[in-house]
Amino acid sequence: MNLASFAARNVLRNRFRTVLTVLGVAVAVVAFLLLRTVVYAWTMAADFAAKDRVVTRHKVTFIMTLPKRYVDDVRTAPGIKVVTFANWFGGKDPKHDTEFFSAVAVDTKSFFQVYDEMRVADADLERWQTDRSGAIVGDVLAKKLGWHVGDKVTLESGIYPDDPQNPWTFTIDGIYTAMAKSVDRSTFVFHWDRLNDRIATRGQNEVGWIVSRVDDPRHVAETSLALDRLFDDREVQTLSQDEGAFNASFLAGFSAVLRAIDVVSLVILVIMTLILGNTVAMGVRERTNEYGVLRAIGFFPRHIAAFVLGEAVVTGCVGGVLGIVLAYPLIERGMGRWLEENMGVMFPYFRIETSMVAVALGASVVLAGAAAAIPAWRASRLRVTDALRRVA
Amino acid sequence: MIPVRYNVRSLAVRKTTTIATAAGIGLVVFVLASSLMLAAGVRKTLGLSGRRDVALVMRKGSDAELGSSIEDPQVGLLGSLSGVRRGPRGALVSGEVIVVAAMEKLGASGVSNVQLRGMTEQSHELRPQFKLVSGRLPRAGADEVLVGQRLRGRFRGLDLDGSFDLRKNRPVKVVGFFSDGGSSYESEVWVDLDVLRTSYRREGFVSSVRVQLESEGKFDGFQALVERDKRLGLQAMREATYFEKQSEGTSLFITVMGSVVSVFFALGAMIGAMITMYAAVASRQREIGTLRALGFSRSAVLGSFLLESVLLATAGGVMGAAASVAMGTVHFSMINYASWSEVVFRFEPTAAILGQSVGFAAVMGLVGGLLPAVRAARIAPAVAMRG
Amino acid sequence: MTAPMINLRQVSKSYDRGGETLKVLQALDFEVASGSFEALMGPSGSGKSTLLNLIAGLDRPTAGTIEVAGTRIDTLGEGALAKWRANTLGFIFQAYNLIPVLTAVENVELPLLLAPVASRERRRRAETALRVVGLEDRSLHYPRQLSGGQEQRVAIARAIVNDPTLLVADEPTGDLDRASADDVLRLLETLNKELKKTIIMVTHDPVAAERATVVRRLDKGSLA
Ligand SMILES: Nc1ncnc2c1ncn2[C@@H]1O[C@H](COP(=O)(O)OP(=O)(O)O)[C@@H](O)[C@H]1O
Ligand SMILES: [Mg+2]
Repeated sequence: MNLASFAARNVLRNRFRTVLTVLGVAVAVVAFLLLRTVVYAWTMAADFAAKDRVVTRHKVTFIMTLPKRYVDDVRTAPGIKVVTFANWFGGKDPKHDTEFFSAVAVDTKSFFQVYDEMRVADADLERWQTDRSGAIVGDVLAKKLGWHVGDKVTLESGIYPDDPQNPWTFTIDGIYTAMAKSVDRSTFVFHWDRLNDRIATRGQNEVGWIVSRVDDPRHVAETSLALDRLFDDREVQTLSQDEGAFNASFLAGFSAVLRAIDVVSLVILVIMTLILGNTVAMGVRERTNEYGVLRAIGFFPRHIAAFVLGEAVVTGCVGGVLGIVLAYPLIERGMGRWLEENMGVMFPYFRIETSMVAVALGASVVLAGAAAAIPAWRASRLRVTDALRRVA
Repeated sequence: MIPVRYNVRSLAVRKTTTIATAAGIGLVVFVLASSLMLAAGVRKTLGLSGRRDVALVMRKGSDAELGSSIEDPQVGLLGSLSGVRRGPRGALVSGEVIVVAAMEKLGASGVSNVQLRGMTEQSHELRPQFKLVSGRLPRAGADEVLVGQRLRGRFRGLDLDGSFDLRKNRPVKVVGFFSDGGSSYESEVWVDLDVLRTSYRREGFVSSVRVQLESEGKFDGFQALVERDKRLGLQAMREATYFEKQSEGTSLFITVMGSVVSVFFALGAMIGAMITMYAAVASRQREIGTLRALGFSRSAVLGSFLLESVLLATAGGVMGAAASVAMGTVHFSMINYASWSEVVFRFEPTAAILGQSVGFAAVMGLVGGLLPAVRAARIAPAVAMRG
Repeated sequence: MTAPMINLRQVSKSYDRGGETLKVLQALDFEVASGSFEALMGPSGSGKSTLLNLIAGLDRPTAGTIEVAGTRIDTLGEGALAKWRANTLGFIFQAYNLIPVLTAVENVELPLLLAPVASRERRRRAETALRVVGLEDRSLHYPRQLSGGQEQRVAIARAIVNDPTLLVADEPTGDLDRASADDVLRLLETLNKELKKTIIMVTHDPVAAERATVVRRLDKGSLA
């Protein structure tokens, strides 16, 4: 026996209470990790954005389009490597009325060059490029709706009129997979030319947005500004943002939600501290007499404080580890898979951030210490005679 | 029965533990009540926006006004249908244009979308709750705008006499602020229809048409008339239904998120209550044994400890619910999925929500206290005699 | 003539009780010779435990000086006092106060954790102490598996494991039946006679007091 093993004996003193406390901490850690994962999954698109990709859209509002001529102007601008463009189609499969996904009309030649983290088999890509009614879909979407290469599917757009004589029917030519975490694996892309031909002359040859890759990601901000200056005196002005800035401005709309989640994550840590503090305080109260005995034998106040603190920290640590062990299957297997399949636009990659695991463990240890600080201090300050008179 | 006073005293004696446990439960209730209040705020704000005797006509297949477009001649046609109320200036029909504009946020970095609505002379008559709160109404055809009061001070340029660019070199001036009974219109900027259309090159088109019906009951007939003509390619719904649908996603998201979080939190707090109640039982073994020896039944002991646990949790619940009422003063701005623009919501404290939340706390106390109470009930009278 | 083991001069002790001061001991002079076995008797509330706690350095006097085993303990700091207790003193409680999660031998070993002693040596000394109190065969039992008398003997083993010069016992037989009490008293006698421990013991029991070499009475804070 030594001082540490003596202290360890006490952790299991009130086995049932220790088990409950460990469970309480574990539940709090799971909840904390869940909340942080929501924030992480949400904001990750901004963090993992391709730094060399610039999106150019209508200056005032993204629902308005740009003349297609602008694409060529961007292509010949200095510092630009490749350019592609797209229009929003909206769309849902009337057979799966409740499933929403992004359907986008894209330039077949350049789209997968600009979005090179979306991978399609070469043979499929070539077939698609020559098949005007072809489409490429994300692997998660294909799996969920049971689509296979070669299948014919009919979509409805929320924006472009449906004509029963000429329905929006597509052949699935290929399925893309994602090479980066931030890619929505539920997107549906098809030929821009086909959409353009169906639009009344008035709205023809307009693109929703233009995406380009720059030669040097370090100068992406300057290049964006230069692009906008290019169109300053033209009929429509543009707003160019690199992907990170674009995503950040989108997130700004949800900043209140993110802030609320931050507050709630703090609240769960406070609840955890209360549970731990309560347990520690009870233990100290029940054992006051014993602390008196130890002090009478010659133990120092700091020994008593260390026993109280050590017990709390061990409990917090065990609870933290248990919480982390429970959180992985719960969040990644259960919820994560469901969210990635059903809400891939918002949560393309719903996984626990590794650094948050460290934060959670650190928090459970540190907060256990904090919860025990006052009881430990009090226990160590007790007058020996008072402690001895106290009967548990 | 064992008197309640006994429970209240024993909670008071163990002050620290009682406070810590109640505070934990209070925090859970605070989070739960706040999220329910926010969801209610979303439903209320969007729910207040719509009327049952106004039909909203959009292009068939459109989920939202933003994505819909209707040609001008069809607006007149809709006004001529039967069931439409007529005023001194003809049919009460308003074709409006919706666009969203990226505007610079104040007090936070970045831009956010604000919904701009092109208004006609009839627009105000279709919104009886409309009230000018400061400034004046814009002159027809002038480059002047009215701003919903919830946007006040949130974006650059949206102050009285401030201005912002509709497009390059086309500034508009803010001449007044309006309220609309707390509806989501209060998060919009209202512009003259033609000013907005020329700036955005939408001449000849509107996004949606609002039609004042003679009465609520006329809707079905009106809808049938609109949708029978396939060439029009239009759909009609009650304005109230439209906004209800818009609020569905957001309020569902908040409710689901709030509930999932609350379940986890409640588990934690329940464990806290259990720890406390087990300790209470353990330290009162002799007392319980004595009560049993005096003739109190097992169920009386069980009931007494359950009651104590429920009391403890309810006290926490009341504290949490009371604290959540303070959230009523907080504004919460969020993107509305349907319009991709920011809408400002309020936390809406209702008696039902507060009641539910306190009830939830009581249930936590009941569940958390069950096992400890069972243990207490099993203590034998003989324990009283042991040293 | 050797210096006294315990030497109290003009010691007063009063407690604050809700504003009013309760004077328990007043200007008390008290000496205990080295190697003696003294019993302290007196009615309940007369201040016996208070006096014992002062001698054991568990509490501080309001006034006066206390010298025990050659050290002025009333002026020692908290830390020094704790160290002094660990080295000089063995305390025996009425309620034994064994740690329930530790076995008998571990309870005895507890005070040695504070000294720089190797763990094997600690165990050896603890076992020796247990042998002295006649419980070597119970070393792996937990307190709840022992009778009251056995528990108190383990507590005595714990008090002597550090080889202190002074043993202080507050009603050591108060919770015991006659036979167990006699065992404990015999043991204290042996410790006094053979190991030359100075012992001061508070007791209500006249039989116990008979075993002591000196019996003193404390009444209302002064020695009779
Ligand atoms: N820490 C304390 N605070 C206040 N009063 C105390 C304290 N300790 C002892 N007393 C009081 O001092 C008196 C003497 O107590 P004590 O020494 O325990 O008596 P004895 O051991 O002779 O029965 C009693 O009246 C007791 O209530
Ligand atoms: Mg006493």
